[in-house]
Amino acid sequence: MKTRSGRLELLSFFLVGCVFFLLMAGGLVTSHDAGLAVPDWPLSYGTWMPPMVGNIFWEHGHRMIAGFVALLTLFTAVCIQRSPEPGWIKKLAWTGVVLVTLQALLGGMTVLMLLPPPVSISHACLGQTFFCLTIALAYYLSPASRKSGLQGEDPLLVRKLMRLTLLTFLFVYLQLILGAVVRHTGKAVYEHMGFALAVVAHVVLVQLAVSRLTDARSPLKPAARILAALTLLQIVLGAGAFVFTQMIQRQGPAAPLHEVVFASAHHTNGALVIGLAALIFVMSRPAPFGSHRLKAAV
Amino acid sequence: MRLAIFFFLLLLGLESSSSAASDISGKVFFDGAAPESVKLDMKMDPACAKLYSGPVFSEEALVSSAGGLKNVFVYVKEGLEGRSFPAAETPVVLNQEGCRYSPRVFGIQTGQILELTNRDATIHNVRATAKEQNSFNLGMPMKQMKMTRQFEKQEVMVPFKCDVHPWMRAYAGVLDHPFFAVTDESGAFTLRGLPAGDYTLEAWHEKFGTRPLKVTVTEGAETPAAEFRFSAS
Ligand code: HEM
Ligand code: HEM
Repeated sequence: MKTRSGRLELLSFFLVGCVFFLLMAGGLVTSHDAGLAVPDWPLSYGTWMPPMVGNIFWEHGHRMIAGFVALLTLFTAVCIQRSPEPGWIKKLAWTGVVLVTLQALLGGMTVLMLLPPPVSISHACLGQTFFCLTIALAYYLSPASRKSGLQGEDPLLVRKLMRLTLLTFLFVYLQLILGAVVRHTGKAVYEHMGFALAVVAHVVLVQLAVSRLTDARSPLKPAARILAALTLLQIVLGAGAFVFTQMIQRQGPAAPLHEVVFASAHHTNGALVIGLAALIFVMSRPAPFGSHRLKAAV
Repeated sequence: MRLAIFFFLLLLGLESSSSAASDISGKVFFDGAAPESVKLDMKMDPACAKLYSGPVFSEEALVSSAGGLKNVFVYVKEGLEGRSFPAAETPVVLNQEGCRYSPRVFGIQTGQILELTNRDATIHNVRATAKEQNSFNLGMPMKQMKMTRQFEKQEVMVPFKCDVHPWMRAYAGVLDHPFFAVTDESGAFTLRGLPAGDYTLEAWHEKFGTRPLKVTVTEGAETPAAEFRFSAS
């Protein structure tokens, strides 16, 4: 039988997976220009379940998944609240509930206001922020966070690593904001492309710093390698999205498949890059936010 | 009795002054090879797809064999400043029929009623994206459902779109006068009842942009035919 904390760990992993699926569904709404296929909110054409024809499939489908994720987030927070987990983990879980609620409100607002770019951009960025939060929550609930691999490392290197991973996360996050500006206004595309260099440089620096860790089994090592691979993939997908959304004029009224595939793959892989950058940052913190668990583990 | 004669003469006077107004007829041509129409893919809504047995093409650029360009909005752009014209009483009807808008291009006066009707057995939304006034997005989930809207300010053109069926597009030219027309299959149009004066006309096409033309309407003389020419570049 699973232990109580094992069940929480599973639940939080499931939440991360569901949020990832939701981000993907959200990106497909944008890529299909389907954001206004349902004009009303919170109901859809006055009902909970309109016929899923045309672009209603993407918009209403996204709303249904969002509804499920919101309930799941609430359920997770209630379970964590009732568990012996430390207070800061409970707070983190409730912050998730607040974020998902705000996110749903932004989603409704952007529909009722006919997708003004500032609201759509905020919805795009807050969605990924919420994703990062669920990742951090799942990490702190997992046994991995209890045995930090950084105890025996050079404290100077650890401090440097922490700064560097924080900076990397911030750079990727800025890149997300720029990308959302490109996606929702068509502006700042060259700024976004240029800034990719800063992201790549930091991903490389993280890779170098992590390679200096003495613990060969540190999970930071594979994590940094995967981050580098995903970043590389992100650039390839970004180039494809650039070609199909900015250079080639659309023939016909609807977004063609190659445009949808590259733009949403770049959007969704972007979520993985940001999520992993966040995870690497929390992993490289020797002690999270006044943790009692870590002190107990040392 | 004297009053009645006075009104009779007044009416006669009005009648003769309006007969001084003149019609401008003309044609809009497309030079060069007609652009290929894009095939529409309606299978995302079976209720639309089953209405057609053969392929359906976009109505973005419709050129006749003689080069006439359909769905061009021709209107008086300058020359009517300072005059006012009451909005027509009859509503303009924009149908959603066969998962298309009909008419695709139309004119409407400020204050005139626009009647939106869903004639399909499926869901449509009608989204108008205006710059000079409020945009709107209306859900029309049922067959025979009707809604009305009005525009307050001139705007050439206000695009309409159905987001459920992204190929559905329409364009409204909103003017505060009634001197506008949309070209037919042969590219022909007529602007009716223009008072004497100097005008700038404009022809607008959704894909090929706009063309200006200066015309003079003289009392008692016939106004020469107006001609606009569009090309792909
Ligand atoms: C609650 C959790 C939600 C999350 C995590 C989420 C996430 C996302 C994401 C990642 C996108 C793609 C943004 C982009 O491609 O730039 C998106 C798009 C969108 N979402 Fe959500 N969403 C949520 C809830 C909702 C709700 C409740 C609505 C209700 C109407 C909604 C409406 C939309 C719309 C209309 C778009 C398209 C925006 C556009 O094209 O400008 N979302 N969402
Ligand atoms: C490693 C760095 C990169 C990251 C992390 C990144 C991230 C993102 C994200 C998250 C979005 C979507 C924002 C949203 O949710 O609305 C986006 C959009 C976009 N990115 Fe990137 N990007 C990177 C590099 C690039 C590069 C190198 C290019 C071009 C060569 C590029 C081109 C684009 C374009 C064109 C869009 C808009 C796509 C659309 O209109 O649908 N990106 N980027």
